[in-house]
Amino acid sequence: MSRVSSWRGALVLAALVALPALPFMSKFYLLLAFDALLFGAIAMSLDLLIGYTGLVSFGHAAFFGLGAYSTAILLERGVVSLWACLGFAVLVVGLYALLVSYFATARRGIYFALLTLVFAEVVYTFFRYTQTFGGSDGIQGVPPAQLVPGVAIDTPLANYYAVIVYLALAYALCRVLVTSHFGKVLVAIRENEDRARFLGYNVQRYKMAVCMISALLTGVGGALYPGRSAFATPDLMLWTVSGEFIIMVMIGGLGTLGGPIIGGAFFVLLQEQVSSYVDWYFMVIGLVLVFIVLFMPRGLLGFRRMLGFGQWRATA
Amino acid sequence: MKRLTWLAPLLAVALAVALAQPAASQQKVVKIGDLGSKVGVFEGYGKYQSMGIQLAVEEINGKGGVLGHRIEVIAEDDDTKPAPAIRKAEKLILQDGVKLLIGAVSSGSTMAIMDVTKKHKTIHWNSVSCAEFMRTTKFHKYYFSNQPDSRQQATGLAKYILDKMGKKVYIFYTDYAMGQSDGRQFKTALEKLGGEVVGVAGAPLDTKDFSPWFGAINQSSPDVLFLAFAGTDSLRLMTQLHSFGMTKKYKLAGIDCFLLQQDLPAIAEPMEGFVQLNHFSAYNPDPNMQAFNQKFKKKFGVDANIAAGAYDAVYFWKAAVEKAGSFDPDKVSAAHEGLCIDKTHIGRQCIRKEDHQVVMDMHLYRVEKGKNLPIARDRRQGRDRRGHGGPGSAEGLHLGDQEEELAARWTISSRSCCRSSCTASSSGPRWGCWPWA
Repeated sequence: MSRVSSWRGALVLAALVALPALPFMSKFYLLLAFDALLFGAIAMSLDLLIGYTGLVSFGHAAFFGLGAYSTAILLERGVVSLWACLGFAVLVVGLYALLVSYFATARRGIYFALLTLVFAEVVYTFFRYTQTFGGSDGIQGVPPAQLVPGVAIDTPLANYYAVIVYLALAYALCRVLVTSHFGKVLVAIRENEDRARFLGYNVQRYKMAVCMISALLTGVGGALYPGRSAFATPDLMLWTVSGEFIIMVMIGGLGTLGGPIIGGAFFVLLQEQVSSYVDWYFMVIGLVLVFIVLFMPRGLLGFRRMLGFGQWRATA
Repeated sequence: MKRLTWLAPLLAVALAVALAQPAASQQKVVKIGDLGSKVGVFEGYGKYQSMGIQLAVEEINGKGGVLGHRIEVIAEDDDTKPAPAIRKAEKLILQDGVKLLIGAVSSGSTMAIMDVTKKHKTIHWNSVSCAEFMRTTKFHKYYFSNQPDSRQQATGLAKYILDKMGKKVYIFYTDYAMGQSDGRQFKTALEKLGGEVVGVAGAPLDTKDFSPWFGAINQSSPDVLFLAFAGTDSLRLMTQLHSFGMTKKYKLAGIDCFLLQQDLPAIAEPMEGFVQLNHFSAYNPDPNMQAFNQKFKKKFGVDANIAAGAYDAVYFWKAAVEKAGSFDPDKVSAAHEGLCIDKTHIGRQCIRKEDHQVVMDMHLYRVEKGKNLPIARDRRQGRDRRGHGGPGSAEGLHLGDQEEELAARWTISSRSCCRSSCTASSSGPRWGCWPWA
């Protein structure tokens, strides 16, 4: 990263850190901002797969939900350390992602999407039917996690800053990743998988690696969720949630990292506002999506052309 | 990294647009929140809850409001899921500043938002959800309910089933908080009275095809099918049971919110003979009930139903606020305890101090030709509720001579006596918390 762009990144971070100081930022808006940035970060991690590698995952909700359940299960049983929760989430999501990515990356295109979807549905069904984890009601009313013993992340402000740290670290990691040699290979795989293979790259290994990274980032995001909402339910893993993640990436702009963050935040805020006025808010969101696909095919932050139209490069 | 320059202004604009709110121009307004399912599987319940609230608020505002404040209702849809329910509850409490939150419809959502109302000290009334956890493990001081919970329904209904319908019962429930709770409490009540539960099964919420469960039901050859479903699930289940000939083969009973009266005519034949215990029917000739129904019908053009209990919730809250002389949640909560209101659709209702549950009479009803007709009299008041006449008298009450009166007075005296054996709670783990534990 150049020095100038690092400064710009720092400026955005500073703006987000200062956001709670604005007079209209009530507790509710902080919670809303938490959701907006959390789902923005998750959309960004999904962008590594969709935008950079050309792999459309229809199962990211499972990574998110597993992260959330990992935390909720520990919190419910009295393990309130944030680090233990995050560690457990990384372990659980990592093992699951290893399994999914091993099988899914062996296939291309629609088959990759279908395999991720099928695995995610299995996880969803498992949690929905397992009464030990609350069945379809999930785990509710968990206590807040503690940063260190005695310091609980229990206010909207503390949760907001937790998500800022997560977003900043996740963004830095993704940025480093896509500008590295590894990132270039991912783009090469997206552009022409056979050619990348002929050049001597072990394509499946690269795909598995990026799947794992994307899944773990999503899982860590999920692990932060119960701290804010006090629950984890199977609904978090429903395939429609995976679909929403993809929509967030598309709204923001594929292969841009920053775009999906904006896409995620935009989606959450739009959903929140529109659903307060009309019951059929998904129609409005659908129309917005149609508008974006038709008139802004490169997303809100569309510097690059859409996937499949050739010529475009994702990495800077 | 060039793109980063766009991040800050875009995020700022997005947030600013989202957060822009019209300035409040009205003075002396108190807001109350109406949170529930406005679309989806429980749409009907959410809509009638809103109607009940609207009717009460218009009446109260017409008489000067509460403590000189005009009531304003802010309605939100929770999508019948906990995650949106929590976000909407937070919006209502933290942004809109509601002093009373009524909802939600689905027990799963209600349980989730109880954490929010507890955390932000907001008076919370539940008029539709019936899982017992809300009155036991999740109970908090700001929570009140006038929907009879699973235990209260089970006690009266189990006795009637054993006396009049049969000893062998198969329990089929919707597999989430409400159904699990209803099924478990009914099983306990039935076995206590000497009945036999020949089988138990749960189907997920929003199941489209119930036929995979029918084989097990037929194999266990019950006398009675006890069904704990609600909303469009109930509609599909009854249609499918009927097409398999099972509505004729077995006697049918179920929970109070199984189907709203409005849905009954459409599936009158499958529902014929279905018995339930609840607190309202438009076909009950009781003068109080008819008076309320006429009022409701005049306003909305349709009969009221049990989901309209939110009407009484608003009146309870109003009485408590006036008793407390303020909107302070602690004072209003304390003022609620032991409060009674008279001449509601079911007569006198009182809030039990121990668990903030409203105590009221309930009646047994049986569906006949798409109408929920009463089959029990209230022994306590010695009044015949089967009689004919009265305003809007239910035409064609065909009550069997064999029916005995059965007072369905609730028998639970305190919350502490009825804690569930299941350990599910916010304070303890769920190990061993199985539906039938």
